[in-house]
Amino acid sequence: MPDDPGRRLTVTTSDGSQVLLLRPTDVPAYVEFGAADCGIVGADVLWETTGNVCELADLRFGACRLVVAARRIDRYHEGAQLPTFLRVATKFERSAEAFFAERDVPVQLIKLHGSVELGPLVGLADLIVDLVATGNTLREHDLVVVNEIALSTARFVVNPIRFRAKYAAITDLLAKLERPVPA
Amino acid sequence: MRLPPGTRDWLPQELRRKRAVENVLRGVFERWAYEEIQTPNFERFDALEAGLGEALAQKTFLFADKTGTQIALRPEMTTPVARLVSTRMREAPLPLRLSYVVPAYRYEEPQEGRMREFTTAGLELIGAESLDADAESLFTAIEALDALGLGDAHFDINHVAIVDGVLAGLELDARHLAESKTLISGRNIVALRACLAGSGPQDAVEAIVRLALTRGREDVLESARSLCRTDAGLLGIERLRALLERATTLGYGERLNVDCSLLRDIEYYTGFIFEGFANEVGFGLCGGGRYDTLLPRFGFDSGAVGWSLSVERMLIALERRHSTHFGAAPAIDVLVSGSDVIAARERAAGKIVRIDFDRRDEAELVEEARRRRIPRLVIATSGDVREVKVTW
Repeated sequence: MPDDPGRRLTVTTSDGSQVLLLRPTDVPAYVEFGAADCGIVGADVLWETTGNVCELADLRFGACRLVVAARRIDRYHEGAQLPTFLRVATKFERSAEAFFAERDVPVQLIKLHGSVELGPLVGLADLIVDLVATGNTLREHDLVVVNEIALSTARFVVNPIRFRAKYAAITDLLAKLERPVPA
Repeated sequence: MRLPPGTRDWLPQELRRKRAVENVLRGVFERWAYEEIQTPNFERFDALEAGLGEALAQKTFLFADKTGTQIALRPEMTTPVARLVSTRMREAPLPLRLSYVVPAYRYEEPQEGRMREFTTAGLELIGAESLDADAESLFTAIEALDALGLGDAHFDINHVAIVDGVLAGLELDARHLAESKTLISGRNIVALRACLAGSGPQDAVEAIVRLALTRGREDVLESARSLCRTDAGLLGIERLRALLERATTLGYGERLNVDCSLLRDIEYYTGFIFEGFANEVGFGLCGGGRYDTLLPRFGFDSGAVGWSLSVERMLIALERRHSTHFGAAPAIDVLVSGSDVIAARERAAGKIVRIDFDRRDEAELVEEARRRRIPRLVIATSGDVREVKVTW
């Protein structure tokens, strides 16, 4: 294990539990396949997976919004006519697909892995679907929100079998997580 | 050459382990006086359709035969057994105790423990609606896992009427009722709270959400009893209580938990349901329950209870805990060179005989026997027969 604590992948707590530090998008897989008994992950990540995990609690922190955004100058946020063939760049393929499908809007989804906000600026896409916390990134690139899709917060998820196998420990942890933080 | 997704070959040592597991299961089924049956691996889809729920029908491999009849590869065995019992076994005295170990096919996304071709083993107890029958079904499953060396497997039990009785305390339309049951079954608590919000007093809703999060014994039955609003639900709770009591007498009490969120295939089961788990395995080991409406759909007015498991999943669970005592290769008794007659005589005496037809000399044959751990070597050369004891 590297000595630099910042590069550690696992941490052992005082009660002997092992905590894994994972990329958010990897959390559902670790929990689904039981490499981790439980995990904390944003709802936005869960929307993108089909994994079989139980969502036991909304921890209410880490709030951010999944939004549809576009260039300010395109004026889509003010009701300007959208192109007939919409190109949408996003990391959130499933959520974006569901959002446009519910509205019967045919779109070409372009799956990106980083800096989605670049898409409309260079003509890759008309719209983006992305997470927004403060809105600073959008403002910096002169992008504006066209639609709000959903609000995402941190969720406590468990493997359905481990919930049964380690019931006492997991419900204990759940109670601690649900306890209001003293002001 | 590539196999279709979700299928596999079984190499000798793999198949030995699989057969060993199957035979342990057969032993348990026999000791409980169940009789093994088989049905065709494929049959007319219209004969099964009445019994398969929609989800399972969706996963069924279908094809047309030369007359255009729709043929299905069976996706599970309970429905074919129901078809068989309601036709050729109609007059058999009840209760019927039937067991099976057969291949089954489902159009699944292949993953660990979920193949498109798998082996399903289980039993059906037909024509008995009593607590005795529910208890027998659970106890046979516990004994089966014990016999396989999974003596620490634990079992969650439930009765499907409880969730209906509890939700009857809220004002839910049909859509929200169905949705809330799906959410309870997946223990999707966040979405369940949202689904139930506003359907009753907040503390009533929260008590139901808490029940969906709780697993236990008498305490869970007690909170279920206080929330249940239907007679059927209360009878279900009473049945689970009596079942826990009988299980405790057998020493199984600590391995059982009541879990009101355990809702397996709700279109199928009508009463008691259960599922078996092991800590290190990410899927249920076995599961079953009471399905009193299935046989009537085949025109046979009788209740039934049963359970099944996937043999492949048992193999994964055993491998996960490094249980290697299953399926050791049978030891070869004698290596014979140069005589069909001697080899035949050894086989007739019940020995396992390996025949060497490379016509090697004695030193080479001794080396071969030693390498293969064969304790006896018989060499026949033009009328002369020599037997050599081999040690290593």
